[in-house]
Amino acid sequence: MTKLLVVDDEANIRLLYAQELSDEGYEVVTAASALEAVERLEGSSFDLVVLDIKLRNESGIELLQRIVKERHALPVILCTAFSCYKDDFSAWLADGYVVKSSDMQELKDEIRRVLAKKQKAAAPTAG
Amino acid sequence: MDWECCWSRDEITPDGCPYVGEGEEDLYSSHRRRIVEKCVECPRFKNDLARMKGAGNPLTEVLPYILTEFQEQKAQMGAMLSFLNSKTREIKFLREVGLVLQTSMDLDEVLSVAMTAITAGKGFGMNRAFLLMTDKERRNIRGYLGVGPKDYEEAWRTWEDIGRSNFTLKELAKNFQKTKLNSEKVKFHDILGQLSVPLADQGHIFNRALRGKKPILVENALNNPDLDRGLARILGVDCFLVMPLISRNRRIGVIIADNCITHKPITLQDMQSLETFAFPVAFALERASLYERLQEEVDKQKSANLKLREQQELIVKMEKMALVGKITSSIAHSIRNPLMVIGGFARTLLRGTPESDDKRSYLESIVRETRQLEDVLSEVLDYSESLFPVMDLWDINELLGNALAELAATLEQAGVACLKELSPELPMVRIDYKQISYCVKTVISTGLSVMAQGGELRVESLLDGDGVLLRISDSGTSLSKKAQEALTAPFYQTQEMGAGVGLSLCKTILERQGDSLSIVSRPGGGNTYNIRLLTRKENI
Repeated sequence: MTKLLVVDDEANIRLLYAQELSDEGYEVVTAASALEAVERLEGSSFDLVVLDIKLRNESGIELLQRIVKERHALPVILCTAFSCYKDDFSAWLADGYVVKSSDMQELKDEIRRVLAKKQKAAAPTAG
Repeated sequence: MDWECCWSRDEITPDGCPYVGEGEEDLYSSHRRRIVEKCVECPRFKNDLARMKGAGNPLTEVLPYILTEFQEQKAQMGAMLSFLNSKTREIKFLREVGLVLQTSMDLDEVLSVAMTAITAGKGFGMNRAFLLMTDKERRNIRGYLGVGPKDYEEAWRTWEDIGRSNFTLKELAKNFQKTKLNSEKVKFHDILGQLSVPLADQGHIFNRALRGKKPILVENALNNPDLDRGLARILGVDCFLVMPLISRNRRIGVIIADNCITHKPITLQDMQSLETFAFPVAFALERASLYERLQEEVDKQKSANLKLREQQELIVKMEKMALVGKITSSIAHSIRNPLMVIGGFARTLLRGTPESDDKRSYLESIVRETRQLEDVLSEVLDYSESLFPVMDLWDINELLGNALAELAATLEQAGVACLKELSPELPMVRIDYKQISYCVKTVISTGLSVMAQGGELRVESLLDGDGVLLRISDSGTSLSKKAQEALTAPFYQTQEMGAGVGLSLCKTILERQGDSLSIVSRPGGGNTYNIRLLTRKENI
């Protein structure tokens, strides 16, 4: 089963993500902070991380940099409340990006796209 | 005795002396003046003297001596008077010219006065004059302006026009500046182009005149083996004057004057008069040139100030943008997160509610209204972002200066000396300031990381075809091929470089804007990072 790590400091949003993504057939583990996320990543293997760019008193970007640095094969989708992510170009390191919305369809589509891309990259090339 | 000459008569009638001409009628009644001006040279008086001698008058023995002495004195007086007249005219003329030269800051006006003074009949009356000036780099003397007729026909026409007019020298100069200066600059273009001489050519007549600070009169140039015949051939005359223009020991230039039409010999007096005139001309030319250069500098300063003001305004705008960004980001978070929770859970509930349930319409309203609120929020946030475009025209040298100032303490701590070579002629480049500044700082930090023992960092900016090249060179260890691959692979780890995203991210940023980053390592040590920014980015 595809295993996702959802990192967001809002408990209700974590709950919403967990419900919606579980309904899509993913195994969802949540983390409320960067520290918790690192612990989860060290303790288990994940297929994708859904990361809020703005965590309480922390920067999601720093966590993103750490993930890319230590596990560059692990794809990350950034979620943000505002498209000012462009201001911090380190966000370009992420594999996907979505603006937070009550309609989770965009996030679901993006997860599918990134996972398919990862799978394609991992598959041995023909010929 | 009945004398042949009228010398003995107090008063005479018009037929009394055939030598009294028209306009001299007062001599009929002025006995003394008639004797001094007419009788002493009159052949009839000489005949009377001979008759007196025959009559045994003892005075006739001494009188010829007195007369000869008188005539010599009179001739000398005449020459002195003519000299005085010419000097008076010269002083009057110099005063008139001097007044303009002392006050004018306009190079064209000074040139017009000087060249008119040399060539006008009311001035020195030379047929033609060429002005040669030392170039800005002080390496060569170059032909600048030629004034005078090209042939007899033009000379005749010009002199006739001037002869008919009653202009003063100042008026002639003004007229020349207004109607002829520009055409004269072109007229002798062929000759002026051949008159360029390096100041280092010590043997050339121009440099000899400048070194000796004295005019040189060249005569019979075409047949004189000691002289440069080439110059005579260019000018088309074999007699000309080379006048040095020196002001406060600075070599301003040279004036060449000749009589190419009338072939009148240039006299010592012409030369002396022109020499007196050369000093104020040189001084005025130097002052006007300096003033012109000062004006250029003032204009440059003005445009630099304008640029600075524009940059300051942009910085203020950027700061405002950052502030607006922070505020909107905060609002976005405060509103979007609760909206997402409300709308999201409503959607979840809606999915689990049967079509027949009355509560379904309430949930649908919550979903719809939340969606609407989210759309309004996106619209407001997008609008606030559009108020401050990210891409703008920036001065790259300013950006480099700011980046270096930010890193000054780090550079000092690392024992790295920074050498700046920034081209002053760069165009403004459309960039995202924040991103390019990040790239520059990242490249400098990469350079620092290979200079553990200190060294030299060279930062250059130059125009490179349709782009501006920022060249940053370190004097540290040469990067291996493997280390250079860090450019394209994020977190590529090498022993030299460790792991990082810096250069890889810079490359991504630059390529997205149509720019590029490349790295060249020198085998002996040191690396050069080239950031090339396109000056035209219509489609980016």
